[in-house]
Amino acid sequence: MDLLTLRADGLTAPEAGDFSALLRQRGHYPQTQAGAAFSAAAPPAALLQTHATTILAFKYADGVLVAGDRRATAGNVLVYDRADKVLEIDQHSLMAIAGVPATAWEMARVLEHSFQFYRRSQLAEMSLEGKVRALSKLLRDNLGAVLQGIGVVVPIFATYDHTASTARLYFYDAMGAQFEAADSAATGSGSPAVRSVLHYENTWGKKPLAKLKEPDAVVLALRALDTAAESDTATGGVDRRGRIYPIVKLITKSGITTLAEKQLARMFKTQVA
Amino acid sequence: MIEEPYRWVEAIANRREYIEHQLAGGSPITALTYRDGILLFTLGRERQKIFEIYDRIGLGGIGHPGDIERLRMAAIEVTSTEGFARSAQDVSLRRLANYSLSPALKAAFEQVYGPPYLARMLFAELGRNGAPNLFLRLDYDGSIHTNGGAFGRAHEEFGVIAGTAAATAQMERFLREKQSAHRPLEDALAMAADAWAVGHLALSGEPGDALPSSEKVATHRSEQLAATSIEAAVLEAGSLIPMTWRMLSDSEIRPLLEKRLS
Repeated sequence: MDLLTLRADGLTAPEAGDFSALLRQRGHYPQTQAGAAFSAAAPPAALLQTHATTILAFKYADGVLVAGDRRATAGNVLVYDRADKVLEIDQHSLMAIAGVPATAWEMARVLEHSFQFYRRSQLAEMSLEGKVRALSKLLRDNLGAVLQGIGVVVPIFATYDHTASTARLYFYDAMGAQFEAADSAATGSGSPAVRSVLHYENTWGKKPLAKLKEPDAVVLALRALDTAAESDTATGGVDRRGRIYPIVKLITKSGITTLAEKQLARMFKTQVA
Repeated sequence: MIEEPYRWVEAIANRREYIEHQLAGGSPITALTYRDGILLFTLGRERQKIFEIYDRIGLGGIGHPGDIERLRMAAIEVTSTEGFARSAQDVSLRRLANYSLSPALKAAFEQVYGPPYLARMLFAELGRNGAPNLFLRLDYDGSIHTNGGAFGRAHEEFGVIAGTAAATAQMERFLREKQSAHRPLEDALAMAADAWAVGHLALSGEPGDALPSSEKVATHRSEQLAATSIEAAVLEAGSLIPMTWRMLSDSEIRPLLEKRLS
């Protein structure tokens, strides 16, 4: 039982409050397992990276909106039509994922636990910059799997910055570089269409995105996703019979709101379809 | 020193005496069930004594800050790893205390060449889906005392720790007479403040089995409340997110307490 003796050398331990380091020590860190298993494999596979999905996020009047379709695919097979790709990491942060679900969901789990672990052990909330970097580190640790062409994840991270009283939006590349988005971000195979729509609306629409009120912002998100589904087979549209609608979440000063299915159904009927 | 069993027993007894002496000044900590969850309460001086461990588990500790810190970190690491590797539903105070902390504490206490932990801890766990709340006292030698029904003792809705066994017993007797799981937060705060005063009087004062009179408790409580800061936290059963822990600030508690006590 070296449970406690492990703690005795607190001064030489890695950074205090680092949950990834703890997982590594206990052999639970998902990225290392994947990396170790595939590091001996032959040359990198061709980078056939489709990130089959559509995720979009933009800042609106009250904060930031993050939306995603529900379709999960493997090649041309539709695997699952109720996937939730917009994940709550803490009370003010969302991670939206495009890429390999197994890796992405595990990353979200590590991230969620990392923030909690930090808060509990260090008796303080992790800084916003720390949170943004934490996801970056996870992506970098996943690089081995990315090079093998099997574990690509391209996430968006959205959160509320309480010190500056403003919403923040970041997007990443598969190697962990982070970029702060000024007004909008999109990822996944349907993102070219969505980016075009958002750029058009922001520049020549009735109002810039940042001035949109909540209902208009939600309608725009639904329309943009619908546009993506029109040309991208990997993006799910709306299935009214199965009552499957996109996931739309809003981050405002007071926290995260998930739009109810009923509300989305009503908006779809009146303003999208 | 430990070639003979007798010497070992003697060494352990000395060690126990030493630790008890070190812990004797510890400020009492009370945890009790109230209408919306669990309240943890103490009056503090310098350092934090009440901590969040996991979604539904809180800790109050007295003893050496370094030792409390190591045990607190161990508890957070065990529960966080378990919550990650399995699920948050699988994290349980009973398993944390029985399988992880208690054996380690006992080993450290009985290996007379190594340092023991100067710590006495009170854990509280919010019951899931209407299950009763668990209050668990874990001592430096690994011994465990819970609020569960035992021989001649019904299930209780509180747990306490204090510097001495006598003070602990007094506080338990005081709370046992006034048990109620349905009181609102301000009543629970007043009850916890009174229990703290009972424990603190027993630490400093006359030995004896009788509880101090309610006037004496009230006087001591007001004196101490005026001179110290309040440290309290709640585990809220109605929380909409898995995390139930919330620290209460001194400025949030004082008006509630004053309203109730005036």
